[in-house]
Amino acid sequence: MQQNKKLILFWLTALLLVSCIKPFDPDISLSDTDKVVINAQINDIDTVQKIEISLTSAISKPEFKPLSGCTVRVVADDGTSFGFYEATAGDYFGTIDPAYLQPGALLRLEVITPQGERIESAADRMPQGPEISEVYWELTTLEGNRPGNERNGIQFYTDLHAEAWHSRFFRWEIVETWEYHADYPFQWYYDGAVHQVIPADYSRLICWKTAFVPYVYSLNTINLTNNAFERFPLHFVSNLTARLAYGYSVEVRQYALSETSFAYWEQMRLNNEQDAGLFEKQPVPVQGNLRFADNDKEVLGNFSVSAIRRKRLFVDPVPGLELDFSTGCSATVLEKGFREIRPYEYPVYLLGDDVTYSMVLLSDGCVDCLVHGGINVKPSFWPR
Amino acid sequence: MRYRLPFLLFLVLLTIMAQAQQPSGRIASKMTGQSFASFSESVYRQSGSMIFDPMATAEKLKVTIADDSLTVLQMVLKSVEGTNIMVSPWHQHFVLLPGKMLIQSLPPYQKLTSVLSTADSSGKVPAKARYLEGRAPEVVQTIRVGAEGPAKSSGRARIQGRITDKDSGEAVFGATLFFPDLGIGAVTDEKGLASIQLRPGKHLMRAEYLGYERKNFLLEVRNDGSFNINLARTAIQMEEFVVFGDKQMNMKSKDPGLDKIVMKSIKELPMMMGERDVLKISGTLPGIVSTGEGASGINVRGGGSDQNAFYINRIPVYNTSHLFGFFPAFNAEIIRDFAIYKGHVPAEYGGRLSSVFNITTREGNKKHLMVRGGLSPITGNLVVEGPVVKDVASVLLSARSSYSDWMLQRIEDPSIRSSAAHFNDFAGGVNATLGKTKISAFGYRSFDRFRLADVNDYHYINQGVSLIGERMVTDNLRAELSLIGSSYSFELTDKQYAATAYQHRYQNNHYEARLDFKHLAFENHTFDYGLGMIVYQLRRGIIEPYGMASLRQEVDLGNEKGVESSFYFADNWEPNPRLTVTAGLRMSLFTPLGPKDVLTYADGLPRDLRYVVDTLSFANNKILRWYLEPDIRLSVNYSTDENGAVKLAFNQMHQNLFLLNNTVSVSPSAQWKLADYYLRPSAVNQVSVGVFRNLRQWGLETSLELYYKKTTHFPEFRDGADFISTPHVETTVLQGEQQAYGLEFFLKRNNRKLDGWLSYTYSRSLIRVDDVNPLNDINNGKLYPSNHDIPHMVNLVMNYHLRRRVTFSTIVTYQRGRPVTFPVSAYFVNGVPMLDYSDRNAYRIPDYFRTDLSLTLEGNLKKDKLIHSSLVISVYNLTGRDNPYSVFFKNEDGKINSYQYAVIGVPILTATWIFKLGNYAAE
Repeated sequence: MQQNKKLILFWLTALLLVSCIKPFDPDISLSDTDKVVINAQINDIDTVQKIEISLTSAISKPEFKPLSGCTVRVVADDGTSFGFYEATAGDYFGTIDPAYLQPGALLRLEVITPQGERIESAADRMPQGPEISEVYWELTTLEGNRPGNERNGIQFYTDLHAEAWHSRFFRWEIVETWEYHADYPFQWYYDGAVHQVIPADYSRLICWKTAFVPYVYSLNTINLTNNAFERFPLHFVSNLTARLAYGYSVEVRQYALSETSFAYWEQMRLNNEQDAGLFEKQPVPVQGNLRFADNDKEVLGNFSVSAIRRKRLFVDPVPGLELDFSTGCSATVLEKGFREIRPYEYPVYLLGDDVTYSMVLLSDGCVDCLVHGGINVKPSFWPR
Repeated sequence: MRYRLPFLLFLVLLTIMAQAQQPSGRIASKMTGQSFASFSESVYRQSGSMIFDPMATAEKLKVTIADDSLTVLQMVLKSVEGTNIMVSPWHQHFVLLPGKMLIQSLPPYQKLTSVLSTADSSGKVPAKARYLEGRAPEVVQTIRVGAEGPAKSSGRARIQGRITDKDSGEAVFGATLFFPDLGIGAVTDEKGLASIQLRPGKHLMRAEYLGYERKNFLLEVRNDGSFNINLARTAIQMEEFVVFGDKQMNMKSKDPGLDKIVMKSIKELPMMMGERDVLKISGTLPGIVSTGEGASGINVRGGGSDQNAFYINRIPVYNTSHLFGFFPAFNAEIIRDFAIYKGHVPAEYGGRLSSVFNITTREGNKKHLMVRGGLSPITGNLVVEGPVVKDVASVLLSARSSYSDWMLQRIEDPSIRSSAAHFNDFAGGVNATLGKTKISAFGYRSFDRFRLADVNDYHYINQGVSLIGERMVTDNLRAELSLIGSSYSFELTDKQYAATAYQHRYQNNHYEARLDFKHLAFENHTFDYGLGMIVYQLRRGIIEPYGMASLRQEVDLGNEKGVESSFYFADNWEPNPRLTVTAGLRMSLFTPLGPKDVLTYADGLPRDLRYVVDTLSFANNKILRWYLEPDIRLSVNYSTDENGAVKLAFNQMHQNLFLLNNTVSVSPSAQWKLADYYLRPSAVNQVSVGVFRNLRQWGLETSLELYYKKTTHFPEFRDGADFISTPHVETTVLQGEQQAYGLEFFLKRNNRKLDGWLSYTYSRSLIRVDDVNPLNDINNGKLYPSNHDIPHMVNLVMNYHLRRRVTFSTIVTYQRGRPVTFPVSAYFVNGVPMLDYSDRNAYRIPDYFRTDLSLTLEGNLKKDKLIHSSLVISVYNLTGRDNPYSVFFKNEDGKINSYQYAVIGVPILTATWIFKLGNYAAE
């Protein structure tokens, strides 16, 4: 009997984990770096438009490698051209006459690299895009890969209600902004002697951070009876980050695309959303509409003109969602007093209140929210 | 990894060498008053020689030996000194018999055959005479064949023999009839029939087969005729038989690129989840690859997974797995044997490019009721068989069902964890022999249901019936008429997004009638000829919106019809006992039929719905295209000497049916599709050369084969192809060429204490899609490795028969990782990292290595018992290596992380209980 129990126990242990996903270190040759990448998405609203030109980097060390010194212009089909000029490395800015950004307008891109090579795009036609109809969220629990490993948070959705004359090809971008707080105001510090800041400095207590959600969301409605879609899933915000603690805002950008630009983004989405599974598809080479005029080297990226609509949504702290995040503050008790602190570390922050301090050392993140990458200037769209 | 293989090889060699130790070696021998049992154990431990005491005559002896070191033979002789027990050396073992020697003067096995084959027809060879006296002291039964009368003018009579099992009445496949005086022989086919030409007169004939008694007859040939022999199973198999029977299989009759699995031979191999999977086991043979756990397709000699034809009693099976490849769709308990043709494919088969898997089930016991079954952690199965009319008609019924889907709960994927799966299969057959006519009916049905969380609901059904009538028209002509119907269907509901939810029902029907003849026409010529017709009916189904919220547009994928008519003729010619030439021609005509609306596209542009010019309408049963498909099948087999042969084959095949699938393994929603107005049938030419050699002193058989194949009109799918959004498949399919070549090495050892096989395959499979229109190219028209291009593969299968009732088995598999497309560089768009990918399949996932182990414990060997049961304990993936099934790259918080996904990354232990009525040897 004892033997049987042991056997069953062994059995269960052996079966505990059947499949598994683990990190993998591929051996990839570096021969394909330094291809030119052009990200040129002209929209129908912005007065100043931006075009990014860069080079590819090694997969082991992904970085934005700007390509400076290009001559960039957008050309309309009547021959009118609009020049773009480099403001920061690799970022070229320009203005296009709104008359050339009406639905049906045909634009193309010409770039001459610093080496004098000429890159041209196919012409892209400005589609007609609908307004964003609705963006909303729901409290959601996602199950993790291991049983019991659940994540709570909110899932964003959007609806699409377009008319028959609108484009049937769409993609969305999401820019998120959230308020976060440092744990303490700046009050006590030590640089060989203890100082108190009076009154306490609250300027670095509250910050706002803005980030681009790094996923491609694309949809076409050509196989649907109507040019419409309900509950298109956007991103998920987990309770394990500080995003939902003091106010969270998303800007959803809806792009109506031409069919060829959609094909480009759809392939980008498929390639960047690979996952484990028995029936996974092979990644495919993404072909944009850019070519070298005089050779058959590859150019990555795409030139597109699209109708953009933006919508902003605020989320106050979500009732019923328990947050569990780290503020990035660590406190250390100085057991041996100030001797533990080396002069090169000065100044260091101490825990304290209006009256006195204690022998507890605070990390920079405890008193300075800028350390976490945000800004301490309230964005103009922030409600409170 | 690289060091593990040579080490294993070394282990194998070491064990073989240990086995080969001769009884003449000296060993420590001093002992006093030991029991005979411990004496024989000590002999076995030291020398590897076993002492058999069938009459238990030495059981009570006490052994005392004064000498320090003796040869094993001397020791055994000493141990029985003073009794009437006589010691007969047998291989390196000993047999004790009271008062007589086993076969006192039996010459060493190798010599025996050479003496027999060089003997003249007078048959007066002392060795042979002694052999017969020793072996068969009883009267040799005489069989008279043919009517009395003048001998035939040709001087030779055509004789057909049929060998059946004495107990069950079933045909015995692979049994040999050997004529020692003439040095010639014949092997029975799957019907139990063997043909041979003999001069009138009396000939000594020996019939034998693995696991059956060996029987000698005196065959008195008068004229053309036939005879029947019943062979009884031996309660305890004598190991001797096999070597010869199998040698015949390998050397004389085996076509190049033919592999045969007899279920008996694999019953001890490790099982995954307690199921014996003939397809997985076939993957340990050279040239056959499975892309990984949970991959339902197999790839033969670099071909696609839809290039294999599977038949169970002539019923084609279009989906051969349960639960996406984790389980086989056939109940192993009803399979008698399993032949795989991958080189020379007999002219009677056609329709697939790479291989034919022919499964023959048992016919059902014609003598008495038999029940067998098994219980594993996932499934239970039961087989009942017995006579309807004793010795005339039998019935066989099998049922198998899964009763638990616990396995899914262990998979590291939340959507699979909340899923449910169920499968079952049923088979039934009736066989009747009425004089010269044999009628058999067989039906098969398998069902699978899979619910993937609340996202997907999926089920599929394979079903079919075959009715086969077989008649000996004359003594030299056998005719077989078969009527076959088969259908594969699936239904899929996709509910992932309410707005795009849909339902799809697909069905593929196959109706076939064929007439086959086997004709022993002239001296040394056997003709196979026949004709057949297949009607394919595909209802590709309608993509219907599912649920009120679905906005999906209804798409009718349409129906398809096609007729494949064929005839074939093949001549199996044996100009002399050393040379066999098989030359065959198969002529097929495939005609896709209307009703069909075919779109025509603008010249010079890709086939895209944007460039449609016109529509051609074909009325019902109007022929869309004529595809005439001649196949030449040629095979030459030359025995260089009694231990070796050289084989050559040239093989042509055509395929009219494809699987629309663009995932690496076969996806559950993959649809079969006929060649049509645009999509042309694929064709392959294959050349193969093989060398075969028996290394008798080691008990080994080896073979080395080389092949080269070139496929034209190989269907490949456009990047991101979607098969449910348009009925016009030509817009998503491109046709290119495929090249495959390789080398296959096979080493096999049979019926020893340690037996099994070792296979090594070097194989390449490359595809080129280089269209006249560069927009249709894949990989810029350059050659690229296919998804199943696995250059190196090594499999080791070993059984160690510790005792008759205890066997350890292991399977060790290594294969090079399959090709994948990797990202080679990164770039940023709006601050988000993106990936740029390599040429198609330019990289490989890490190599695959797995070790399985099993222990088979048989119940007792008593001859008279009601139920025999056995327990098989298997560990799948003993080392727990997490063999990557796929590799993927994820963009996580601005960083690119790479991951590998292993379907099964731990050892899996299962226990299976198998039972049957009767004793150990009951069938």
